[in-house]
Amino acid sequence: MPRGLTFEQIGVTEAMIASYADAIWRLSNNVQIRRGDPVRLLELDRVDAERADLGMSDAQIAAVLGLTRDQVLAIRVLTEVRRFRRRNYHRLYELGRGSRFRADRYVPLEARGGFRADALALREALRFDPKEVRRFVEAGWWGNDTLAGWIAARAAEAPQRAAIRGPDGDLGYGELARRAERFAVGLHRLGIGRGDVVSVQLPNVPEFLVAYLGIARIGAVMSTAHVPYRAAELRTLLAHSRARALVCLSRNKDHEPAAAALALPSLEHVIALGDPVPGTRSFAEVLASAGDLPDDLAPAPADPFLLLYTSGTSANPKAVPLTQQATLGNARMGAPEHRITAADVVLSAAPYSHLFGLYSFHLAAGVGATNLLLPAFTPPDFAQAVAAGRPTVLFVGPAHLAALLKIGLLDATDLSSVRLVIASGSACPPELARAVAARLPNGRFTQLWGMTETQAGLYTRPDDPIEVAALTAGRPSPGTEARVVGPDGAGLEPGEEGELQVRGSLMFPGYFDNAEANADAFTADGWFRTGDLAARDAGGNFRITGRSKDLINRGGVKYNPRDVEDLLDAHPDVMQAAVVPVPDPVLGERACCVIVPRSERSPGLEELCAYLLERGVARYKLPERLELVAEMPLTPTRKIIKSRLVARIARSA
Amino acid sequence: MSEAAAREARPGADPAAIKAQIVEYCKRKGALAVGVADLEAIDRVAPPGHRPGDILPNVRSVISLGVGGQTQGAWTVPTKAFAYFGSTEGRAYSIAYGCSFFIESRFRARAIYCPPDMDPEGGARIPLQSLKLHAELAGIGARSLAGDILLHPEFGYMYYASVFTELELPPDRPLATNPCPAPSCVDMYRKTGQTPCMKFCPVQCLSGTIDERGRQAEMRYEMAKCAELTQQYEAVPEVLAEALAAGDAAARERTLFDPDASLLWYKMSVGSGGLLAQCFECMRVCPIATRAPLADPIRRAQAADRKD
Ligand code: SF4
Ligand code: SF4
Repeated sequence: MPRGLTFEQIGVTEAMIASYADAIWRLSNNVQIRRGDPVRLLELDRVDAERADLGMSDAQIAAVLGLTRDQVLAIRVLTEVRRFRRRNYHRLYELGRGSRFRADRYVPLEARGGFRADALALREALRFDPKEVRRFVEAGWWGNDTLAGWIAARAAEAPQRAAIRGPDGDLGYGELARRAERFAVGLHRLGIGRGDVVSVQLPNVPEFLVAYLGIARIGAVMSTAHVPYRAAELRTLLAHSRARALVCLSRNKDHEPAAAALALPSLEHVIALGDPVPGTRSFAEVLASAGDLPDDLAPAPADPFLLLYTSGTSANPKAVPLTQQATLGNARMGAPEHRITAADVVLSAAPYSHLFGLYSFHLAAGVGATNLLLPAFTPPDFAQAVAAGRPTVLFVGPAHLAALLKIGLLDATDLSSVRLVIASGSACPPELARAVAARLPNGRFTQLWGMTETQAGLYTRPDDPIEVAALTAGRPSPGTEARVVGPDGAGLEPGEEGELQVRGSLMFPGYFDNAEANADAFTADGWFRTGDLAARDAGGNFRITGRSKDLINRGGVKYNPRDVEDLLDAHPDVMQAAVVPVPDPVLGERACCVIVPRSERSPGLEELCAYLLERGVARYKLPERLELVAEMPLTPTRKIIKSRLVARIARSA
Repeated sequence: MSEAAAREARPGADPAAIKAQIVEYCKRKGALAVGVADLEAIDRVAPPGHRPGDILPNVRSVISLGVGGQTQGAWTVPTKAFAYFGSTEGRAYSIAYGCSFFIESRFRARAIYCPPDMDPEGGARIPLQSLKLHAELAGIGARSLAGDILLHPEFGYMYYASVFTELELPPDRPLATNPCPAPSCVDMYRKTGQTPCMKFCPVQCLSGTIDERGRQAEMRYEMAKCAELTQQYEAVPEVLAEALAAGDAAARERTLFDPDASLLWYKMSVGSGGLLAQCFECMRVCPIATRAPLADPIRRAQAADRKD
């Protein structure tokens, strides 16, 4: 109200504002132009002549424009408010202490990167119990870890030290950091920003790590797709993750992943490693980007930086978001437990598309060790990599070891460089563990239990006796608590089998965009239901005994077929065995034994049962059906996918 | 006139003696420069409603005084902290306030301290009086290319206050020369087309030209841009308008209580002046403001040492 009067009383309308606002603005003090120095020189006639530029009072403007003073006042003040930009004073926060404003370098707030809606949705999935957050931070389990920070630190400490040992020789931490930075700049140029998901489908080649580090450098999120995945699987994962870009091979054997990915609707960019593919960007082109990244792209430890897919159905994918501090904290605290140092050369048989493979890289990056790369596991390639690269630490799945052992490659390979084996991916048959340990002249065998959801939750330590390492998955990692509970949720005594539950700083906060999976993933008091069966021994070591969903319910008697499988695995005519339930109209379920024969000679069901009875297996646990298969359906860490076996048997019936 | 004679001046004494006594009072209280502006000239330049007589009906003289702008250390701090140094101007106001009491008690003539605030009838950007005009005509500052901020060749950048009185005092002349632009600014302008104040203004609201003799030819200043950088009073209604227009409760809460808005409420509730001044980046880079011979206490102390 100008001087107490309403706009209606003084006759100001929107039309009048629109008509006169600019003129009033220009004549008022809001814009001032002075020629010469007329006041100081007392050239007062000149002041009068140039008043329109010097700035007029409202009454003077009113006289010029033919309005009333109140109308000018009302329109001027309203225009000042309408043109006022509230957030402009943020510019001041970057100034002083020697910093000056530079128009050519200033990026207005509205032009600065922000999170897209999809990225915010992913962040919204990160909900932690506030009491736990406090506990993790106070204990130092969550710290100031970012992958970019780690790599920068390694590059500063020892730029020449080999970060990667690959087919083309060594790549130092300094050069790795530079390539990652350039790839990050390239992604930024493509419009990828903080929180955006970039999917990577590459084997364990240097470019995987360059892409990963580049993605992490700009606070984006890497989602992995296992190399064997084809369009159907990718479509599901990419749609669910809202990935904006995919980094993949131009060609993989007879398949052309990059060309196929172009047809996927949700992707904005396909970055192809290998020969040029029309419609995609080459990895080399993205890597050739030069320039600086804006400061606001620096990642923060609490940012999500991984979105990894675990089991789940295509209609209901289970995506695990992980933050930098939870993930890297798990590795930071793990390295001294595994006794991994900068002097180590780490070889992972597990793909980097899987958390176990990434864990090996995180351990190495945390201490500045060398990553010996094996693009894809085959027993001969693995043996060759060990012979040539002389690794000191092996990350392997029991299935990898079993394959090596069975074809004699473990005996034929010089393992003298290996001081530590970390086996994970599925429970390791004790016989296999002992056999591997016996073949390590200078090394120790350890087991690790983890899931994508939990990272490295339990492991045996290098000093543990082989019987602990052969029979158990060890004790909780730092920052982790584990317990075994019965069907009623009550804690069980040592030796009793029940569900393994885990909680701690390593834990994912819940599946992204999957309310159904989240509904029963955690107990009310925050323990993650792993779905694994375990028993704790008196020493606090956990023996993984199977999966709760793998239990066979034969007429109400539930049993775990794991010991039967271990015995069958050791049968001379059996390459690999699994026992799965098949529906039965009378008993509900019966056990079916599925085997991959070692040779032409396939053992019969009766022969196998006799073999099991001889070894003390209870009769109710004997398989009642036998299926022969050429190969097992395996996860990337070579775990048998029992659900597929069950489906296959159902189809054949 | 001797100081002793000035101290003894009483009502009816020689105006020059009275003026000397007033000047001496102000300097004793901390003013660096004091002058008397020509009232007639003020009335020619100031628009109706903003002339000294609009406040003090029988005003005869306008005294302007300036206090030191900043300490040398102040120019080194982050700009956000600098915004809190505006209270320096409070020193000028208190001297002026004291001066008005001094005049009335010593000379029995009416005097007021000129309110350094906005004209309530003119919105939030129009002051009652232009203290700048008073100081300029009193010869204690000259308009610079930095949005007409006054500069003094000896004291650099100062804060000003005015006293109006019914005493008749002999007016001073404006400064004979304008220290702005400094020679280094002219050099820079010749090379780049900009002076330091223009180049480093965070909202680029300054521009202008310098003539071939190194004098100001034209000064252009978009005051609205400068004001929106630091004078946050318009932010308050904007926050409220945004809150009213918010689509849901969460958006409304964020608008009202995000860190920026919280700061506004804090400023309003405690009446703090920070972020309600100017940013003075133009002055931070100005060779006159920061490096005039007596621009800060360190320089003044050093000059005094040299005299001794
Ligand atoms: S006070 Fe700040 S915004 Fe205003 S003219 Fe000076 S530098 Fe520019
Ligand atoms: S920096 Fe100072 S002296 Fe130089 S032109 Fe600007 S106001 Fe004038």
